[in-house]
Amino acid sequence: MTSATETAPAPKRGSLFGTRMREAGWGYAFVLIPMAVFGLFFIYPLVYGVYISFFEWGILGKAAGATATTQNYTTLYHDPVFHRALRNTFEFALLVVPLEMALGLLVALVINAKIRGRAFFRSAFYFPSIASSAAITTIAIFILNPDGLLNRIIGSDQAWFGDSSTALYSVVGLNAWTTSGTVMLFYLAALQSIPTDVYEAAAVDGTGAWRTFWRITFPLLKPAHFFVLVVFGIGALKVFDQFYIVSQGTGGPEYSTLSAVFYIYQEAFKSANFGVGASAGVVLFVAIFLLTLLQRATVGRAEVG
Amino acid sequence: MRRARAALAASVVLVLLTVVVASAADARSEKATVTTVTLSGWSAGKTEDDLLQSVVDDFNNTHPNIHVDYSVINGDYATAMTARFAAHNPPDVFYVDSSIAPTWIKQGVVQPLNAFIKKSKYDTSKFYPGLLNAFKVGKTYYGFPKDWSPLAVEINKAMFAKAGIKKAPRTWAELTADAQKLASSGAVPNGKPLCLPADWARMLAFVFQNNGSLAKVQSPAVAAAVNYYTGFFKRGLAATPTQLGVGWPGEALGKEKAAIIFEGNWVLPYMTSTFPQVGFGVGPMVKGKVNGNLGFTVSYSMAKDADNKQAAWTLLSYLTGKVGMTKWMSHGLALPSRTDVKAVGGRAPFLAAGPSSRGWGFPNFSATLTIMNNDLQAVIDGNKTTAQMLADVAASLKG
Amino acid sequence: MLQTSVAAAEHLGPPRARSAIARRIVLYVLLVAFALLFFTPFVWTIATSFKTLPDSAYFNLIPHPFTTEAWKSVWNDYDFKRYALNSLFLAITVTLLNLFLASLGGYAFARLRFPGREVLFLIILGTLMIPDQLRLIPVFVMLTNWHLIGNFSGYILINLVTAVNLFFMRQYFLTIPRDFEEAAKLDGAGYFKTYWRIMLPLAGPAIAALAILQFQGTWNDFFWPLILFGQGSEHMYTMQLGLAQLTFTYQSLWPQLMAGSIMAIAPILVIFLVFQRFFVSGVTAAGIKG
Repeated sequence: MTSATETAPAPKRGSLFGTRMREAGWGYAFVLIPMAVFGLFFIYPLVYGVYISFFEWGILGKAAGATATTQNYTTLYHDPVFHRALRNTFEFALLVVPLEMALGLLVALVINAKIRGRAFFRSAFYFPSIASSAAITTIAIFILNPDGLLNRIIGSDQAWFGDSSTALYSVVGLNAWTTSGTVMLFYLAALQSIPTDVYEAAAVDGTGAWRTFWRITFPLLKPAHFFVLVVFGIGALKVFDQFYIVSQGTGGPEYSTLSAVFYIYQEAFKSANFGVGASAGVVLFVAIFLLTLLQRATVGRAEVG
Repeated sequence: MRRARAALAASVVLVLLTVVVASAADARSEKATVTTVTLSGWSAGKTEDDLLQSVVDDFNNTHPNIHVDYSVINGDYATAMTARFAAHNPPDVFYVDSSIAPTWIKQGVVQPLNAFIKKSKYDTSKFYPGLLNAFKVGKTYYGFPKDWSPLAVEINKAMFAKAGIKKAPRTWAELTADAQKLASSGAVPNGKPLCLPADWARMLAFVFQNNGSLAKVQSPAVAAAVNYYTGFFKRGLAATPTQLGVGWPGEALGKEKAAIIFEGNWVLPYMTSTFPQVGFGVGPMVKGKVNGNLGFTVSYSMAKDADNKQAAWTLLSYLTGKVGMTKWMSHGLALPSRTDVKAVGGRAPFLAAGPSSRGWGFPNFSATLTIMNNDLQAVIDGNKTTAQMLADVAASLKG
Repeated sequence: MLQTSVAAAEHLGPPRARSAIARRIVLYVLLVAFALLFFTPFVWTIATSFKTLPDSAYFNLIPHPFTTEAWKSVWNDYDFKRYALNSLFLAITVTLLNLFLASLGGYAFARLRFPGREVLFLIILGTLMIPDQLRLIPVFVMLTNWHLIGNFSGYILINLVTAVNLFFMRQYFLTIPRDFEEAAKLDGAGYFKTYWRIMLPLAGPAIAALAILQFQGTWNDFFWPLILFGQGSEHMYTMQLGLAQLTFTYQSLWPQLMAGSIMAIAPILVIFLVFQRFFVSGVTAAGIKG
């Protein structure tokens, strides 16, 4: 993409370089504080985590006489609990992300149109996202009890969170319900940046609602899609709270609600095995990183300016 | 626009002000001769927190040179404490659950107490050995149990009357017979006679009652006990809390979805405050070949990084001593871990288990418990055999 | 979008109009049904807050007996006034700081060119991938050594700006046509002025979204407040830490917990209602058209 300086009448070579320098200077200045925060409180811990993943590491530091080895990674490789945790986590993310994207986008589209009581509907759909995760999960457990509200309505006695074949999917539903409100918010904001004359032009052309959406709105939302996919995809892969509360900290029934972060948490804070916890964290990080690169390659390319 | 700028400026000023004010408020004004000792634990409810505070107040009043700051950690205790250990800034005296004691002791964050015991001639003989051993490694003491509870049998009186059973079961045979009678007489229309969780924190007591132990997990004694426990499910005489739609067996008893549960002293205040209309009875834990029970206990321990260890020891020995513990026991919220402190009335079924209770905890606790309970659920559901579960458990106990 | 096509359809005459109205009715019915589904937990929360503890174990929506004990207990036995003030202070401070730093940084990543920009952006995305549990110990040890534990400053410092906010602002700025900046440049405006006078006002909806989300995120944050300043005296507690006093191992004081939760949710609802009007379509469109 061209910039204003390149389309203006060609200035002398020196001042073009100077302009670029100035622009770069301002750029760095604007991102200085964020990068400092990220560097100190995210990147440094990550590097620290990578370092300790090669040692036997306890609460007070390196275990006596420990040397650098890949023992922790070998432990992970042979631990079926870790494998199951990873599998659960990816299955969860694969299901919940498309679901909450679709729900959030759908609701945002509908609410964006001029319907009566918009404010009410906006509040209603956003509501499950407002309460804290713990509070909402407790309420959900109540509603999804074998003799709770949902079963009363659909006439079943299924133990949604207590049956190993339905537990994970029930959390998918719960999580989509609580996060689609937030997705809706992002899409609503993004929809505002699409000028209405685009729609008017489509209406004049006689384009139907579905085609307008699919051919015009959807592609114009690409930066939002990328954002939602990356942020909520990563969020799904880091899931912990809801799995933990729903299974009362067991990761059950029958390992079905064990997540990768739960594994890290247990190794580090319950078993004081920081080396193994860190290596699990590194494995998870690498997996998420690769996935994000993939997302960037497919959805993210188009909008870089 | 101007308003936004003003708001931004105001917020920056606010932040700066906070840092100044908060840091100032953080600084404590200490009198030169008074030592401050920090005490921390998790919360078991406001009544308990207030009671402990009054014990602390008694201590402060009788020990003018020491001031104890008691604060509650209202969340993930293990995580919060671990972070503070790592930063070398832990509370001076704190709770240690028997299940995590081996881990923290091994990590070197808990202060060995033998020197203090010797110097102040502290009498360790009054504690129940099974409980004391949970906080002892070899001959070194790392803490003293502040209270405890074993499991007992709780029954629904009305349902028992309907089934024509006079009293709570005392043996495995009676338990089986009572469960069958409750089922056939239709005394538990909304649930099952027994509410048994898929939890080794309950089933292990049965293992002990069959002369089994975790030292030899893959043995006939352990397998038989497991099969006895899971057998109730297979015969339709028991359900897990989740299957009954409750959070734990106490709730099943309260909502009258079960007639028999196995829980500790904590179920008493729960029932009286949440389900006051349900008439329930308490009996001592059942006996198999022998008496066997689990002692759920918590110690007061001292941090290796404690600032003033002598003062911390004074507090610790007071809280676990006769005077401090007597006051703590006064509301009946827990049972005394000392034989020379009386419990409130009605606790005989629990206290009877003193000699046969083993502290709850084992090697590689957290990872093993996850495997234990998930596998047990699988065994109950018929997706795994008992032998497979015991093999998994044995492997995990080795670490 | 639906509006314009429906409006266009209505111009075409009665038969089309009737089916359009039918579609509308179906839409409204669905919306109301969904809204009820999403609102039910709130109704149950309110009902439970007026129950006694024994009654709260059951699902009935009408409390019997009806009592305000829980509300009185929460107000008197626990210092929720204080907790609310603490939460309010933190939420406002962190939100304002985030809005400023995230929009400034987002603008830089979207529009300014500087060497290493894409690498730095990837690093920012990378920070999203690090679970809290992994970075807890190093961060906590750092803050302890700098004496930023036990007061609000450590918490504010690590939350000055989040990757999500910065990322979103960048995405939003990318969608704004460059005409505005080019006009500003021709007028001789510097980069900060362009940001402050032009880009920021145009980003109204994004700012509104982030304001809601960051306020709520800070307000509902339990983990970091517990670790960083929630282990000392009660007067530093936030709402969430205050609510945690109502749950223990074998029991929760459900009526008090629900009453407290409503007190906790109310401000967020207010913030949402205030800021959501910025999502009205046409506000920004007008700016762009002109």
